[in-house]
Amino acid sequence: MNKNFILYAAILIFGLAAPFLFPAFKVQLSILCVLIVLATTWNIQGGEMGYNSFGNILFYGLGMYLCASVQVGMFFPLAEWTESGGEKTFVHTPTQFFQGMAVGLVVAAVVPTIVAGLIGYSILGLRGHYFAICTLGLGVAAGEISGGIEIIGAGQGFTTPPFPNVGSLEARGEFFYFLSFFTLVLTFIAVRSIYSTRFKLILNAIRDNEDKAEAMGIETMKYKIIGWMISAFFCGLAGGIMGGLVGYIDSTDVAFDGREMGVFMVLMAILGGKGTLWGPIIGATIFHIFKEGFWTFFLGWQYVALGVLIVVIVIYFPEGIMGWLREKYPERFGEVVDEKDRKAQVELK
Amino acid sequence: MRLNKIILSFVSALIILFSTSVASFAKVVGDKIILGAAISLTGKYSSNGVHTQNGYNMAVDRINSMGGVKVGGKTYKFDIIYYDDESNPKRAAQLAERLISQDGVEFMLGPYSSGLTKAIAPVTEKYGVPMVEANGASRSLFTKGYKYLFAVLAPANLYLDVAIETAVELNGGKPVRIAQAFEQDAFSQDVRLGILDAAERTGSKIIIDDKLPKELNDMAATLVKVKQMKPDVLVVSGHTKGALTAIRQIAEMKVDVPMLAMTHCDAAKLSKQHGKNSQYALCASQWHKSLTYKDDFFKDGMTYAADFEKEFGYDPPYQSAESSAALLVFKDAFERANSFDQKKVRDALAATNMQTFYGNIKFAPGGQNVDKPMVLFQVMCDASGSCENKVVAPLKWASAKLIHPIPKWSER
Repeated sequence: MNKNFILYAAILIFGLAAPFLFPAFKVQLSILCVLIVLATTWNIQGGEMGYNSFGNILFYGLGMYLCASVQVGMFFPLAEWTESGGEKTFVHTPTQFFQGMAVGLVVAAVVPTIVAGLIGYSILGLRGHYFAICTLGLGVAAGEISGGIEIIGAGQGFTTPPFPNVGSLEARGEFFYFLSFFTLVLTFIAVRSIYSTRFKLILNAIRDNEDKAEAMGIETMKYKIIGWMISAFFCGLAGGIMGGLVGYIDSTDVAFDGREMGVFMVLMAILGGKGTLWGPIIGATIFHIFKEGFWTFFLGWQYVALGVLIVVIVIYFPEGIMGWLREKYPERFGEVVDEKDRKAQVELK
Repeated sequence: MRLNKIILSFVSALIILFSTSVASFAKVVGDKIILGAAISLTGKYSSNGVHTQNGYNMAVDRINSMGGVKVGGKTYKFDIIYYDDESNPKRAAQLAERLISQDGVEFMLGPYSSGLTKAIAPVTEKYGVPMVEANGASRSLFTKGYKYLFAVLAPANLYLDVAIETAVELNGGKPVRIAQAFEQDAFSQDVRLGILDAAERTGSKIIIDDKLPKELNDMAATLVKVKQMKPDVLVVSGHTKGALTAIRQIAEMKVDVPMLAMTHCDAAKLSKQHGKNSQYALCASQWHKSLTYKDDFFKDGMTYAADFEKEFGYDPPYQSAESSAALLVFKDAFERANSFDQKKVRDALAATNMQTFYGNIKFAPGGQNVDKPMVLFQVMCDASGSCENKVVAPLKWASAKLIHPIPKWSER
């Protein structure tokens, strides 16, 4: 426990100091935080529950559009803001910007949660490939539909409010970094605490054998929906932040970006080891570093390099990095797992 | 607790990696002026991204070999740091941030397409980095009050409204019936706005108004409607893929329409790829090699086209020409500012008033080039089947007469 505390404190201090230690990398670090949030929340479905969802991008995109729309709509007519030939220039005062952002983020988290509940109720009865394909469709459909809605800019895209002139040039980067870092911390605490309850065991039971779980009297549908709603909450939040960070929302390339973010969140979780707490975090970090590296050093070939990386992962680390470590050092790892198991058992009693 | 150790060492490895990889570029290193650019080398805009990059490279080589840039009595050479934005606005914004805050770039060249420029402009604006862009034509770029954005091209809403006016004129001044299909992206939607304006001005009616998806490889649904409703003009815009798809399917489905107006015909190398099928297509262009503008570096359009072809093996589309022009603008501004101070360079850019092989360049307060009209050319083929783009409007540069109406497929 003591060592755990040191570890968490070290990571927290590193996280808080990072933008000052590496001022030039603030954007990448913010994106890393968002990626970790996405991978960690995807892991609730894909890893713990055994439902391979490609639909989490829906909540991310919804959050992005909602946050920006609220931030603009609270103070200015949204339709005029997004009108493509709009001649008017609206400028948020600092108070308006931060107020709008705060309310926007709340909406960006809450609405996707409700949407997840509604959609989950109707499609979480599907299993296996059927669920995966269905959720894949959700993201694609959302992208095409939002690309036709004039009030959020349709095909023109949506320029989010520019950061007001407060503080130094670095203020914007620091603001978004800390916003995403705190979202990450929040997500981690939430996920870690639900993983230490019976809830995780139920999700695992659903993954291992849903029929048996049901036969044992577990209301699987309820827990599946709750699990998805938790993911949606944090995905929406991450989306809202990302919208402000990028500064420009495009329906299929930024918001409902199933081809990139939607696939990456799955890839990161698998790379790190799905069904573990730390796996998605490690996976997302490694993935992000490699990706940025490939972009710099293999320009034009970055996707080939990324593809090779994925092939290597699948061949040599089929269980992800955490799985590989567990296999390689069973006694060390086994100890940890056993101890946790034992503790969990004690806590359950 | 070995797991903790592993994670701790992982975190420290991360710290070391980050701290050692801080790049040490700067805006001017020795005798080099380093410009930054995010270019679509992969993704849906990759072909146009390459046209843009070739245009930039061509101008860099030319300016460097002809004496470089003289600032404060010293001669400097241009150099460009490229990144691949994958045709993705999110990536482009990130790269702009990276070019400026990590690579220390203080002057930027634009990416390809309006959407990506829209994503980058807020970043360059925040840091006060002057950006001369050659491929973002959306009108909404110029109404945001950006101070550091300069576009060498005419805004997108002016691309095809001339075509509508020409159609009305040829119709004896009577309104025409327009069918239109546009990709769901910032540029094409702006071209659409231009058409809407022109339709209102001339009292013309829009009878088909379709949206095309971003991954554009089928527009049969629109064409079926066109066959049924027989409009006087069909307008299609969707970057390179839009032009290729339209021509392919119009030929396959034998759609007869008196006037077909498009964008990106030259970038798509239509006349080469589709030969006679692309005949009579009317295309909006920022530039054509037969225009009579001149400068000291590339002489004129014809020479530019010949040199470009020698180096890259194809006829330069206007995307390359305007990209080359962006560097001429930068050179001119640096020399007039006689400084590398970003504010001074910005002011010099704002005061630009010059002629290049690509056209006259003079920026409005919003940043768009107001001194260069669009041209329309038509794909024309001879009996042997070799096709060429010939300017038909405005009349000042017309090298051929517009063929109207387009002959029916049954008569070709």
